[in-house]
Amino acid sequence: MFEQLILASECDLANEVICAPADVKELFELPTVFHIGELAISRTIILTFLAAFIVVALLYFGLRKGSVIPSKFQAVIESLVQFVRKDVAETIIGPEGAKYAPYLTAMFLFLLVGNLFEITPLINFPITARMAIPAFLALVTYVIFVFLGFSRNGIRYLTDIVWPKAVPVGLRWLVGIIELFSTFILRPLTLAVRLFANLVAGHLMLTLLLGSGVIFIWNFADAGAKSVVGVAWFAFGLIIFVFEIVVAVLQAYIFTLLSAVYIQSSVHPEH
Amino acid sequence: MEGSIEVLKGGLALMGYGLAAIGPGIGIGIVVGNAITAMARQPEMAGPVRTTMFLGIAFTEALALIGFVLFFIA
Repeated sequence: MFEQLILASECDLANEVICAPADVKELFELPTVFHIGELAISRTIILTFLAAFIVVALLYFGLRKGSVIPSKFQAVIESLVQFVRKDVAETIIGPEGAKYAPYLTAMFLFLLVGNLFEITPLINFPITARMAIPAFLALVTYVIFVFLGFSRNGIRYLTDIVWPKAVPVGLRWLVGIIELFSTFILRPLTLAVRLFANLVAGHLMLTLLLGSGVIFIWNFADAGAKSVVGVAWFAFGLIIFVFEIVVAVLQAYIFTLLSAVYIQSSVHPEH
Repeated sequence: MEGSIEVLKGGLALMGYGLAAIGPGIGIGIVVGNAITAMARQPEMAGPVRTTMFLGIAFTEALALIGFVLFFIA
């Protein structure tokens, strides 16, 4: 576990005030655990499957009995599912939002678990800080809303974006270009990048602050009076730790919310 | 010579991120400030206002985050 603190060996305690790795990439490329043929299974992949497994287990054991008087565990899971169904799907998309609730619920719970891995002791790595996962989920949402847009409105979906009727004639071409660019390129891009960058920033801050703190305090003999700096870093890291709990939950919520908004814009394009 | 160009690139990337953070910083302040005003005036609308506030924050924040990602790519 401890050799994961890559900074430890390279940190020059006499001259540096914070232990930063030479290349931040090494904080995000976890070691390969084992091979299946040509396929290298890294810790990230195992964690991804673990997150999916946790979500399935939570939903299965939470809703298996479905008694009228719920146990505490069932009540928690029910309130999560109800939250996505009522407060996200039906509030944003409208009455037919219930149809998209399963997708949104699965995505929300997976992202929630994946994000919370960031602050889970002994795991401490958000799987959503690898671009593959946010990019894939954004791509699924993208395919869903583009497909819905064309299947509900036919070619009018595209023409309404390129030539918006609500805008004065002289400006339509300009708004059309901006809308086309934002709908088909910026939407999936920002959806993925938002989640990814938030979690990368969080993981980076936690590793730098807590890692530096631990190393400065641990190597008390070498650092001498400078290990006081470590106490400061560690305290600051703990504040960020609490902040990251909020970020993890909020980013899962925002990703789900924006997916619902994009689906809504395809189902009812006139708004 | 090679090293100094690397340092220059790093410094420029850092400045780029700083510049990218100005606009969204102001923007998120405006979004949240107005949302708080709205919630204080009509507490019964707090739920919808909060949802819209998060949407506004998410859209505004994207710019800063793109700057943050470009800082590492550059």
